[in-house]
Amino acid sequence: MRLPAQPGELIDRAEPLGFRLGEYRLEGFRGDTIGSALFANGRRVFSRSFKYHRPRGLLCCSGHCPNCMMTVDGVPNVRVCVEPLREGAVVTPQNVLGRLDMDFLSVVDKFGGPFTPVGFYYRTMIRPRFMWPVYEKFLRGVAGLGRLDEHAGHSRRYDVEHRRARVLVIGGGQAGRAAALAAATAGPGVVLVDESVRLADVELPGVEVLAPARALGIWEGKLVPVDSGTVLYRYRAERIIVATGTVEQPLVFPGNDLAGVMLPEAARRLIRDFSLRPGQRAIVLAADERAPEIAETLREAGVAVPRVVDLREGARQLEAHGRRGHVRRVVVDGEETKCDLVVVSGGRQPAYSLLSQAGGRVEYDESLKVFVPRDLPAGIEAVGSVTGEGIVRAEGAAAYEGSGKCFVCICEDVTTKDVKRSIEEGFDSIELSKRYTTVTMGPCQGKLCQLPSIHLYAHELHTYEATIGTTTARPPWAPVELGLLAGRHLEPTRRTSLHFRHEELGARMMWAGPWKRPYAYGEHPEDEVRTVHESLGVIDVSTLGKLLVEGPEAAQLLERLYPNRFADLKAGRIRYGVLTSDGGRIMDDGTVARLADDLYYVTTTSTGADAVTAWFEWWNAVWGYDAEIVNVTGALAALNLAGPRSRDALQRLTEDELSADEFRYLDAKHIEVAGVPCLALRIGFVGELGYELHFPSSAAEYLWDRLLADGARPFGLEPQRILRLEKGHVIVGQDTDSESNLLSAGMPWLPKMDKDDFVGKFALEHFAERDERELLVGFTMEDDVVPAEGAQIVVEGQPAGRVTSARRSEQVGAVIGLGWLPRDRADAGTRFEVRVDRRLVGARVHHGAFFDSAGERMRS
Amino acid sequence: MSFVLACPHCGPRPVDEFAYSGEVTRRPQSSPTLRELTDYVYFRDNVAGRQREWWQHRQGCGEWFLAERDTRTNEIISVSLPKPGT
Amino acid sequence: MSALYFMSPARCTPETLASPLERGLVGAPESLRDLSPDGKVELRGDLARVGLAEGDELIRLTPRRGFLLTGDPLAAIDRSRANGVLAYDMTGALGGLAFEGETLFRRLTDLDPGALPTAGGFARISAILVRDEGERFRAYFPQELGHYVVEVVLDVLAGLAGGRSHRA
Repeated sequence: MRLPAQPGELIDRAEPLGFRLGEYRLEGFRGDTIGSALFANGRRVFSRSFKYHRPRGLLCCSGHCPNCMMTVDGVPNVRVCVEPLREGAVVTPQNVLGRLDMDFLSVVDKFGGPFTPVGFYYRTMIRPRFMWPVYEKFLRGVAGLGRLDEHAGHSRRYDVEHRRARVLVIGGGQAGRAAALAAATAGPGVVLVDESVRLADVELPGVEVLAPARALGIWEGKLVPVDSGTVLYRYRAERIIVATGTVEQPLVFPGNDLAGVMLPEAARRLIRDFSLRPGQRAIVLAADERAPEIAETLREAGVAVPRVVDLREGARQLEAHGRRGHVRRVVVDGEETKCDLVVVSGGRQPAYSLLSQAGGRVEYDESLKVFVPRDLPAGIEAVGSVTGEGIVRAEGAAAYEGSGKCFVCICEDVTTKDVKRSIEEGFDSIELSKRYTTVTMGPCQGKLCQLPSIHLYAHELHTYEATIGTTTARPPWAPVELGLLAGRHLEPTRRTSLHFRHEELGARMMWAGPWKRPYAYGEHPEDEVRTVHESLGVIDVSTLGKLLVEGPEAAQLLERLYPNRFADLKAGRIRYGVLTSDGGRIMDDGTVARLADDLYYVTTTSTGADAVTAWFEWWNAVWGYDAEIVNVTGALAALNLAGPRSRDALQRLTEDELSADEFRYLDAKHIEVAGVPCLALRIGFVGELGYELHFPSSAAEYLWDRLLADGARPFGLEPQRILRLEKGHVIVGQDTDSESNLLSAGMPWLPKMDKDDFVGKFALEHFAERDERELLVGFTMEDDVVPAEGAQIVVEGQPAGRVTSARRSEQVGAVIGLGWLPRDRADAGTRFEVRVDRRLVGARVHHGAFFDSAGERMRS
Repeated sequence: MSFVLACPHCGPRPVDEFAYSGEVTRRPQSSPTLRELTDYVYFRDNVAGRQREWWQHRQGCGEWFLAERDTRTNEIISVSLPKPGT
Repeated sequence: MSALYFMSPARCTPETLASPLERGLVGAPESLRDLSPDGKVELRGDLARVGLAEGDELIRLTPRRGFLLTGDPLAAIDRSRANGVLAYDMTGALGGLAFEGETLFRRLTDLDPGALPTAGGFARISAILVRDEGERFRAYFPQELGHYVVEVVLDVLAGLAGGRSHRA
């Protein structure tokens, strides 16, 4: 099969490698690609086309076209013409029902022609409308290419590596290598990237060569991601030199997609790299100067070349015919030649995509009849044939006449007929037509079809290519595995210092913003609620945002950030605070404790720590108060010990005095608990006597264990939500949204409008002059059903509001909730209805806490 | 978006290390009319061209600073630390 | 400053203390070392006025904000505050991890390994990075992300060793 050893062949004949194609066991050599090994085994059909299921063979042999895409070891859409062969590889054809050489779906090609013109989905399958899901299911089944292995899971590992280069050269041809060597004389930091395995062993003094690897694009900031298989190198370069050369262009004639029709480079690679004879009897068709050179290469490899056609001499009619998808004969202007190989050259188009992505302009060069890059941005250069240098003008027809399907775009099976039809239908701009016909939108991304389609448009519209223009070049320049783009799985998860204690106790963990928190420890959150009401519960509230605000002007800063007052707060006391925006909207809430004249301890919601810190810092950058804002969220663990027994339990672990007179509600005190220094805050989010202990996170497990050993029972987020709802306490972000303000959310007492200024004051002044449309109020359900959060509130048969929280409360003996109601329906006792599971259930407005409304328990 | 922004303290860093906080606005001094207030809260110039805007080096030193950026090209013309009270 | 004494692990009984990386580093290669218990102090003010003790390492983030790595955070805080620089005990706030290898570094961050110490993006979070001799590095990051950081570092190391993802 193989030719005698060629100088510079890539294969190592001493090392055979076995692999499988479907049920066949085949052999190739080390150095082969899967494609060359298949070719050596006599395979000529490599795939079935996207739409018509036409047999397709090697066309470019350079990794550009879709013709050789197969599934290799479970990975779909691998271009086997450039994929190195490895021992034991399992190769499966794609887009085939049956076998590659007998695809049952190829009936689409024989009979589907008239029924599958461009846009036929949109036109044909829309009626009757109810049938679309059926059509869609069928179409999804037969369209598209490879299939993902749904069971592959995380079987492959991808990673991203950040690298820097002083000069990054893309493309290792003559021009690229010369540019790299020249750059290396100025110092280190020169990297050359090339797609070809041939470059892997090339030694360039002072240059780091990365091959085979693909530059996927040029992003702003001179960022070039390079695909090296399973690692994506993210290069930041000071200077980028693009030497991507040219892409050989096919010719547009009927039968131009038959197996055996090849571009010159494909034939050259089969011969030179793999010592394979690309065919026995060839015809050469060239619209540029290369016909004699191609014929010479073929003849040297023992291929008979009975006919060489220089298309610049003006052939008009050209068609190829085949049998079972293989080319058998070519007819040029009525003269027929029998052959099994057609080498076509439609000229060379500069591979300008990367330059265009980087911001360069692309212009049609009338003398060369190709698009060339111009006006490159600073730091981006182009060398070699990508600039148009050395390109000889090709003179072919936009499309040759003849009978049979004539493809402009082999990826998407777009024919000249489709293009003409789209023009007739009025899609006269290339960008519109591209979206309609999908020309240039396939796996080659226009490498082989952009120029031919633009020539065809210009020809059909009787205008110039320069007028048609090009479609936008977008990254990636070459297909890339999504896994590589996704890279390593990075999901920063915040865990409190007690995370593993919760897991050991069997807590169901849930996401709460960036944190993992216990939902509940058992099956019945209401049991945990009862514990808090009756004896002693403890909840991990380390997720609370914690900030220190310190400095001579700390009080002034807070006074201006919060609607209520903090300058008059006494050291050792705590006050509830709500942050509003200048639009008057509620942003976050928490407690503020004054630890000293110039030192405040601020807590935020669990998800708000970073945003509140940034908010404080930003306003202080604007105002310039002499105060420091320090986010100490992670430094401190926090536990809320709550329940009637909490004072006694805590007293057993500390020598500090906790009596009701010494440690009052809303006091902040430094105490030492079991050898751990704590800031203890007497606050009552859950409505029972309680102490929030803030202490070094490093001691969290220790103190937690001590409290549990002392009889405290842990409770999770769900019981806490029931407990706070019983008190009518609002959760910012749950019961409020970006439209809620202090007046509508039931806190009109909070803002101190006589203050000179605070963030949100101007808006609240205006809100105060109007009536709020909706108010946030509590309600009690008449039946024992729990409406979903977001359930509709109905008044006189019309939607009028929504439920934001609702839970069943044993303590209250009813289902209670919070929701937004129209102002004139918000008086206590007013009846309304809530939609629950498609029926309407009565409810009545309730103001204030549902239980212990005077707050005696938490103040006790 | 992958442009490089120079933090006044840390030097050039990829933009994803920073938090963007929009164009520089002028806060009304006292009791604005509803029109003035909504202009300040909700309306932006949204220029196609050079814009002064707030950035924070959130993953780095944490500093808030001002940058002048061309919104069409993401070219950073200058960065500076704010002068408070102005 | 007594008002903030509840922030210092050094004021706790030593047997009460644990590290956020402890569980993640069980069975990890020896090249990874847990630096979480080491003293770390955040400084605010004129950093030029901070008095350094022997072995203290000052990392300047801005002219007015820095971190002090120190063997004795309590003394460092007293000294800084006496000099008019605000100081906060961040020993418990930051996890610390020593690791080796520039490739490992490059897989975790876009930062220039030749321009350390600095603060920046690291495994999609924020961290302070320090370079020691050769290819030895230290990272300091929010302790609540400590377990995550260890998971990521171990996974990158497994990848560099050519192994399979431990997620598989």
